[in-house]
Amino acid sequence: MFEWVAVGPTDPKNIGQPGCGGCHPGGGGLEFDRDGKRYDQRLKEDPSLAQSLDGDYYKSKWDKSGVVEADCLICHLPGYNFPERNKQLKMWNFKWASTAASGIGQVVGLVKEGQEPRVFYNRRLFNEDGKIVLDLAYPPPSENCNFCHGISDAKKRGFSWNDRRNFDVHNSRGMSCADCHPAIEDPKLKITRIQHQFAKGDENVSSVRDDLDNTIMTCKDCHYQGYMGAPRPAHLSVRPNHLEKLACEVCHIPQLHIAGGEGFDVTTGAMVNYPTMNLHDPAKSPKRIGDYFSWHPRFAHLKRGQLAPVNVLLGVFYTNLDKDGIHYPLFGRENKKAYEKAKDQLKPADPMKPEIHTPEQIKIILTALSETLQGSKRFQQIKPYYHKGGMSYHLDDKGEVVAAVDHTWAAHMEGFNINHNVAPTGLALGAGGCGDCHSTEAHMFKGQIVTSLFGPTGKPDTISSGRLFGCQPWAFYLNQFHQLYLTPYVSLLMLVLVFGLVLHYTGQGPKVADFYGAPTEITWFPLSERWTHLFRMGSFLILAFTGYIFFFNNITLLQMSFGTPQMAVIIHWVVGLIFLAASVISFGIWGKYARFEPYDKEWLAKHGGYLGGKEVEVPAGRMNAGQKIFFWLTTILTVIMGVTGVALIFKTDLPLTLSCLMSTIHGFFAVIFVAAIIAHAYLGTIANPGTWRILVDGKVSRNWAKKHHSVWYKEYVKEEEDKNPEA
Amino acid sequence: MAWKKVRWPAILLAAFLGGMLLMSAAAARERACIPFHLKTEDGKIINPLTGENADQPYSPRQTCGPCHNYDEITKGYHFQQGWDVIKDDFGIAKGNPWVLSDGMLGKF
Repeated sequence: MFEWVAVGPTDPKNIGQPGCGGCHPGGGGLEFDRDGKRYDQRLKEDPSLAQSLDGDYYKSKWDKSGVVEADCLICHLPGYNFPERNKQLKMWNFKWASTAASGIGQVVGLVKEGQEPRVFYNRRLFNEDGKIVLDLAYPPPSENCNFCHGISDAKKRGFSWNDRRNFDVHNSRGMSCADCHPAIEDPKLKITRIQHQFAKGDENVSSVRDDLDNTIMTCKDCHYQGYMGAPRPAHLSVRPNHLEKLACEVCHIPQLHIAGGEGFDVTTGAMVNYPTMNLHDPAKSPKRIGDYFSWHPRFAHLKRGQLAPVNVLLGVFYTNLDKDGIHYPLFGRENKKAYEKAKDQLKPADPMKPEIHTPEQIKIILTALSETLQGSKRFQQIKPYYHKGGMSYHLDDKGEVVAAVDHTWAAHMEGFNINHNVAPTGLALGAGGCGDCHSTEAHMFKGQIVTSLFGPTGKPDTISSGRLFGCQPWAFYLNQFHQLYLTPYVSLLMLVLVFGLVLHYTGQGPKVADFYGAPTEITWFPLSERWTHLFRMGSFLILAFTGYIFFFNNITLLQMSFGTPQMAVIIHWVVGLIFLAASVISFGIWGKYARFEPYDKEWLAKHGGYLGGKEVEVPAGRMNAGQKIFFWLTTILTVIMGVTGVALIFKTDLPLTLSCLMSTIHGFFAVIFVAAIIAHAYLGTIANPGTWRILVDGKVSRNWAKKHHSVWYKEYVKEEEDKNPEA
Repeated sequence: MAWKKVRWPAILLAAFLGGMLLMSAAAARERACIPFHLKTEDGKIINPLTGENADQPYSPRQTCGPCHNYDEITKGYHFQQGWDVIKDDFGIAKGNPWVLSDGMLGKF
């Protein structure tokens, strides 16, 4: 423990950087040993502990250095000198660290050099009565949190604060860390403010205090309650299912602007960090974590089911598979020893970055590790593994490399959540339209994500972003068809269709039939058929209206028409089910009339009399050939729309690829369906004046029936005569 | 008569001084801490003006503790960082025997 507190580089350039103890504010394990006794007092009582193998006292000088009590000022004193604290700790001046770093006194002398430090207080800070006057801050300023979190979270997730280039919209509004991460006061958790437990979210990777997960206020909490004046989001152009499936951070943290960690490699025994890579121009990759560099995050499904931006630190490291079947991570010193043995054979271009990737290199390092671990008392079996990029490598009995997909804990790919450095609304994904994510240039699906720091060729392995969260490339391109071709041109296609019908009407004219004035009318459409048609027609109109707005993602129109987009979605699928039910009934009613008969060929040959501008007699049953084609076409379309539509009711539960496929098919055939219905409406109204009346009272004149459905009419008359020969 | 001559200047002066006093009071309230004595780890007062224990480092436990519950505060995660739950068999149940706690002191 003693060594742990003081560890870290001590060269003049880096002595101010925190080692392990630097980011521990003191108290707890830096003050008391595992038995709850103060290190300094216990070691004074029993100096032999320093020679024992007790990890709390091994080779320690607690009696000289003192302990690190909780340093209140590290958080509560603006202007606290964090590098000075690190220097004091590294030089074993544990109990002097707070005095020196707070600036209330100057400390002269270093325990590590055998001196007894002395303090020279800054007397200007003291009143005449000897009391000190410090302008302490409550809650703590963000700058102080950044002493530690600025370093660790930059690596984990490209985080920085008070950083104009890697800005955060909350930061720019003057919010501090403590505004979102206050001390928890919760009787249910039995935590009081004084206990200094700070509210936290639900970190994806870390296991730290999972019991405190989600004690922080969520985006929704603040932005719907107006906490600190948080504006309520309108999300006028965002589809409701996007709001359900995507965490706020997906759209609102489209980019980070400082390099995070891409991964790390422990081959040399040291933790060699790899900053976020520039895949477009590797030569311009950032040199260090924290360098200014703009990058897009990858996306992963959180436990709560939403997609969220994350940063995965790709680990390149080593384990030993022991007899108990557990892969034990190796100590840095074991890796270092093996690397020293293998270095001459490996001949790395950069000795600090051996980047082992070829089977030969892997064999060399694993062989060296096997030799290094021989005789280790830690293991009952020596079987070292090399873990990299989702693969594990080990040597078989013949000493040859065996590669396999890594199913061990070492292959975990959960990323650190990215939830700071929030962009202003105007820069959020979607502010520029659907193309922000759905275009071929957009990062969301087509951006490249590193999956291995160095693949078989020595270069990073990558995969498209969409594929990582479950969208197959073909599904993406299918969706592109929807986005690029269907949506922009569908209105034009409909206009062209209507224009064609206008041309037909003006060129060919309506079919004139003696619809009225006949002495005896025939009931063509009984009430059951009229209602069935009415339900089908009405539901189709609602489906077409809502669907058309969905097509263009016009949330404003949806809100105008249905209150909320969610309500429009519900109406769409409820009415869709009504349409399906009406379609099943209509199939039962009219299916028997839709069988093709030999005389339909004549109807088709004469185009049903709709072309040529002359009135012609064409044979037809209760349905003419055109109506039969329409019937079967709409039956097939109904099946397609029904299957895809019902599946889309459960869209949020579908795999992304299937959801994309269903949406595209549904949208494409909807266009054809609407076009067919427009043509049907034209033929049923102005192209055949008076026909619409069938939908009202179901009656037609005998002349109309004779002219349009001659075969059926003959059968009808015969049947009529059979029933009543006298008439 | 004399009072009448100085009445308004006196009222203005009183208002000014009163305002200053209120501002000072307000400023004092904004401070997280009132002036306090630094203390050594033995609890002795450090007074650099008199030289009393003036070469000793101050002890946060002894200095802040009298007003703020030091033991309760240091139960917080930031202070314990896993030390309060550390034990040799912490990670065995999860198949990670090398993990000794869920915090920075003991986790992998």
